[in-house]
Amino acid sequence: MSQNSARAPSARTEVLGDGSTLVVVAGDWTIHDSLPTIAFKGDKVKLRADDLGSFDSSLPAWIYVHFKNVRQCDLSALPPRLQALVEMAEKATLSAGPNAPTSVLENFGTWGIDSTHSWARAFDHIGQTAVGFARTCLGRARVNWSDFTLQLQTAGVDALPIVALLGFLTGLIMAYVGLIQLRQVGATVYVANLVSLAMTREMGALMTGVIACGRTSTSFASQLGSMNVSQETDALRSLGINPVEYLAVPRILAVTLMVPLLAIFATFVGIFGGMIVACAGDLSIEQYLTQAILAIKFKSFLVGFIKSIAFGFIAAWAGCYRGSVAQRSALGVGDAATSAAVLGITLIVIADALFAVIFNLYDF
Amino acid sequence: MTAVAPVLLCEDLVVGHAGHPVMSGVNIRLSAGKILAIVGPSGCGKSTLMRVIGGLDEPMAGRSALLGTDLTTATALEREKVLRRSGFLFQGSALFSSLTLRENVELPMREFLPLPPHEVAQLAEYKLALVGLADAMDKLPSEISGGMAKRAGIARALALDPSVMFLDEPSAGLDPVTSGKLDELVLKIKESFGTTIILVSHEVPSILRIADFCVYLDSDTGTMGAYAPPKDFLSPTAYAKAHAFFTLARIS
Repeated sequence: MSQNSARAPSARTEVLGDGSTLVVVAGDWTIHDSLPTIAFKGDKVKLRADDLGSFDSSLPAWIYVHFKNVRQCDLSALPPRLQALVEMAEKATLSAGPNAPTSVLENFGTWGIDSTHSWARAFDHIGQTAVGFARTCLGRARVNWSDFTLQLQTAGVDALPIVALLGFLTGLIMAYVGLIQLRQVGATVYVANLVSLAMTREMGALMTGVIACGRTSTSFASQLGSMNVSQETDALRSLGINPVEYLAVPRILAVTLMVPLLAIFATFVGIFGGMIVACAGDLSIEQYLTQAILAIKFKSFLVGFIKSIAFGFIAAWAGCYRGSVAQRSALGVGDAATSAAVLGITLIVIADALFAVIFNLYDF
Repeated sequence: MTAVAPVLLCEDLVVGHAGHPVMSGVNIRLSAGKILAIVGPSGCGKSTLMRVIGGLDEPMAGRSALLGTDLTTATALEREKVLRRSGFLFQGSALFSSLTLRENVELPMREFLPLPPHEVAQLAEYKLALVGLADAMDKLPSEISGGMAKRAGIARALALDPSVMFLDEPSAGLDPVTSGKLDELVLKIKESFGTTIILVSHEVPSILRIADFCVYLDSDTGTMGAYAPPKDFLSPTAYAKAHAFFTLARIS
């Protein structure tokens, strides 16, 4: 039959004497044509094919989608091949279990349960990490120390260029903004105090923590997530090796050690960045350095140092946690990496706010 | 005369995912040195059941004891001890991708055996030679074929001379010849080391060849359909569904 002689697919409904609906399909049904729409009421439907031409999967799909929730659907008047194709889909659906539509309340409940499980898993992982560290200190844990040295390199030394660049630019921007404001009151000399204090107490640690989240957390989440996908973590457990102790402890330890060092580096580079802007403007190098040294107290340095330890721990833990609970698929690994960065940065900002309150309370 | 304690004992075991039971009413009693095959349609919970009886996951209800340790009440330490006496081959082999085959096999030995490195290396070499991978010891998992990866996985599972081995679909994705060789290897391990082997498989000819007992999981009822020697499933009289499964699988 030529393409021109094909008739458009059609369907009409008719209410029968017993209250059931008769649906009559006709014409040629192909997946290239738009399909007819029908409206019907009731839970008893009888299907019939009058003058039905050729059909492909579009017709059984149309019947299946329209009548799958009808209580009584009589297909006996349809051609056997069509009947078989519809019944095959119905049987597969039945064996897959009911797929009833979910209500808003049910969705909310599911979300609540999932959230509870998610929090429980996070606290469980924190607990396991704490136990892992305690056992490591007691020399009882099985820790992959080669991972530790590798992470000192990759999370620490390899991060120097990006930390230097962002630290330098942060100091530069702060000095630039500071100069604009301080020039109005003739106090440009204090730009050195502003940059050095901000870098020491706040920005050095914060920027390094954020870099660690973007760089290291995502890397850990991908590594551990991939190990989950390929069942390598299961293999470790099957050997009687605790994956948290073996994989997470060395990574967290390495990053917790390296982030404070990177933060100190970022602080000095930031102060240097500020100096470039300040000296290009109103200050001499001597003035800038003198003011900076006067501004940085040991207490400020300690504040930044403590924060950076916490931020390093948070960044590494977020990566290890999200990686360990990653779904076993390529998408799951991607999601784990994304959520590790988001979780890490969120926790770092929350921790920073808490530190601000605590240090303020104790006048530190 | 005292009865010999079974290597594996399951009583009314219920296993599942995320709070949803998948398989219930699992009752198994398996003595040492036997091969048990777990069969059933896809998605019926074979691997889940194997993970639970192997001590990797917790059961939802019932009791499961492996090597005399009740895993339902065992502490984490007791569970780890049982795991060290077990060997696992996972579906995708689960070799550590950053380590060579030799290092993969050496890993559990380095962690748990009080041996100097050169003796660990010798043992690893022997285990890899046992599975026919003496020439590929220094290759990474990405450099070997699927069949070789399975054999390397078995070598790693054998690292600590386990009393019981769990093999998750060892023949999946392998050609008939390689699959047959793997069967021979499994039989050799059982006969030479007296290892109890529990495997999940779809390969009916392989099951008939190597398994002493077979558990058929019925996905329609979500229960254990039958537990008997696999040859019993060839007769239609006793276990109708298991017989139908075996017949269809043999034809395909």
